[in-house]
Amino acid sequence: MTWYEPDADWTYADRKLITARCIVLWAVMVFIMADFVVFSFVFASPWIIGTFVTLALGLWFTWLIFRSVTAHAWAEREDDLIVKRGRMFRSVTVVPYGRMQFVEVSAGPLARAFGLATIQLHTASPSSDASLSGVRAADAETLRDRMTSRGEARLAGL
Amino acid sequence: MTSNPVTPNPAPGVVYTAPREWTRVHPISPYLGSGPIFGFLAIYGLARISPSWVVGDSDEYEAINMLPFWALSGLVVLAIVGVVGFGLLSWRRNEFRIGDEAMQHRKGILFRQNKQARLDRIEAVDVVQPILARVFGLARLNVAVAGGAGSGIELSFLRLGDAEALRNEVLALAAGVRSASNPVPDAVAGDDAVSAQAGAASLRDLAMNIGVTRPETAVPAAPERDVYSVPTSRLLLSVLLSTPTILTGIAGLAVIVAAIVLGSTVTDLLAELIGTSLFAMVAFVAAIGAYFWNQINGGFKFTASTSPDGLRLRHGLLETRRQTVTPGRVQAVLVRQPWLWRTKGWYRLSMNVAGYQEDQERVSTLLPVGTLEDVRLALSLVLPDVTNDFLERAVIGTGAEDGFTPSPQRARLVDPWQWRQRGVRAGESALLIRSGRWTRDLMVVPNERTQSLGVSQGPLQRLRHLASLHVHSTPGPVSPLAANLDVDAALDLLDQQAERARAGRGAARV
Repeated sequence: MTWYEPDADWTYADRKLITARCIVLWAVMVFIMADFVVFSFVFASPWIIGTFVTLALGLWFTWLIFRSVTAHAWAEREDDLIVKRGRMFRSVTVVPYGRMQFVEVSAGPLARAFGLATIQLHTASPSSDASLSGVRAADAETLRDRMTSRGEARLAGL
Repeated sequence: MTSNPVTPNPAPGVVYTAPREWTRVHPISPYLGSGPIFGFLAIYGLARISPSWVVGDSDEYEAINMLPFWALSGLVVLAIVGVVGFGLLSWRRNEFRIGDEAMQHRKGILFRQNKQARLDRIEAVDVVQPILARVFGLARLNVAVAGGAGSGIELSFLRLGDAEALRNEVLALAAGVRSASNPVPDAVAGDDAVSAQAGAASLRDLAMNIGVTRPETAVPAAPERDVYSVPTSRLLLSVLLSTPTILTGIAGLAVIVAAIVLGSTVTDLLAELIGTSLFAMVAFVAAIGAYFWNQINGGFKFTASTSPDGLRLRHGLLETRRQTVTPGRVQAVLVRQPWLWRTKGWYRLSMNVAGYQEDQERVSTLLPVGTLEDVRLALSLVLPDVTNDFLERAVIGTGAEDGFTPSPQRARLVDPWQWRQRGVRAGESALLIRSGRWTRDLMVVPNERTQSLGVSQGPLQRLRHLASLHVHSTPGPVSPLAANLDVDAALDLLDQQAERARAGRGAARV
């Protein structure tokens, strides 16, 4: 596999992100499966097929979540931050610290329960899609502070 | 430039200055925007009095006809009173001022809005005159700053002289000319006839001046030198030589052919397709003409010039626009050649400027149509470091010519149309990306202006050992993407370009 593997200190997304995302996924999937079960009693029994289709889809999505979370990593280099993500559609983004306009840390209720946070880096370009998911909440604050101070040191304007 | 004898000023001896204390915009400005309401009333009036062939027998107008006349006149009076009252209120709360650090603007009746544009963050200042404002000698001032949609300041409307004075002073201040070393505004401050009430001009000042006036301003406009302009004949021909023209022609032919095949007359068929009322016909013609109109209106008398304030662009037929883009604010340039322009050797240039968020089509044109010589001049204005000796070949070339890294032949599967035209070349000062089989594109991104970089790969691309390089620029018409390169080439380029961008930033900072 030839892909971007410079000898940098890669930090991978926390595996707890898999659990968090699976909870959301299966909350939806179980709801749909229950619907199909009810349908099979109310209308006709062939509706039960939907339950198994949903189950299969859910298992496939779970596999995708596992694959994408384990592929998501970032590395802080001297002048820039590299973010890689995805397996089927994979991408690498290089964001120079000097180009960061601001850094945003966010965490929803579920993420907070798992002690996770998301860091979004904003440059002057809306297409720089640089966000770090599954950052340990304890690390998120220090990572943000480190990046903003580096950004200030290397700020290049526009 | 300060006094031009062509058109006499409405009030001779008036020197326009930029206000240092809170100043209101021109009192009639709220009503210049209420055209739609009066337009609706006019349409209603038409529908009421005209025979049915004008508006058609549509049900939409039935409701209007059902109301008794006194109710309708009451509604009309109420609408007029409401518009006038609301306009007065919003005018009272629409104020601006200029300081040494920033320009401030506050407005709003229920929801108050207070905006501040830091002078050192100003990317561009435009003086815009829509046709109605031009009749009254008014202008809108758009101050664009980097910082997302809606972060710019829009003052509508000011007297043209006030708008120019404000623009000149903002640009002079932004360029570092502090008013401490420039005593002109203070000297005029005692003249309360103009300085304190820049917005509250009396109605006598509303001279009809459709021509170009050059009002005298306290801070004179920086001297400018014209660099290139677009002749009207070339603009009109370029609009004719465009794909929409061809499509319109084909559609017209199709109607004629269909009429012959179906055995009916062309007029009957058109009536069947569009409808028989005058309104429907006007709407149909307007829909077709909108594209052509936009092209002609936007590019009419397009002139670019240089000045110490930055790049100046003036253009427009009914709505005139005079843009000033401060130096070094152009983030990327797109050189485009539609297939019908190839024999003429014409190109169109668009640019990304960070502050231009709204109405990008109109404000981001650097050259609507021009020869290779114009393209060279334009590029030398906005990206002086980019060497462009091989510009023409860079646009029309294919494959690995001129040091470009092409898409390999295996890209044919995912990119059957333009894999042969795709290529990327990392130059000393800028990255050049070309693409497009019929419409040829060349994107130029200076190294020190790259925001961030990315490489992406989908499943089909992985099968073919390909990847795409993304260069992230500020919002605008140019979104640089070098698609379907060889994976290793793309990753190498990512590394090299990150390094070049770092070096470019370092050089730009010193």
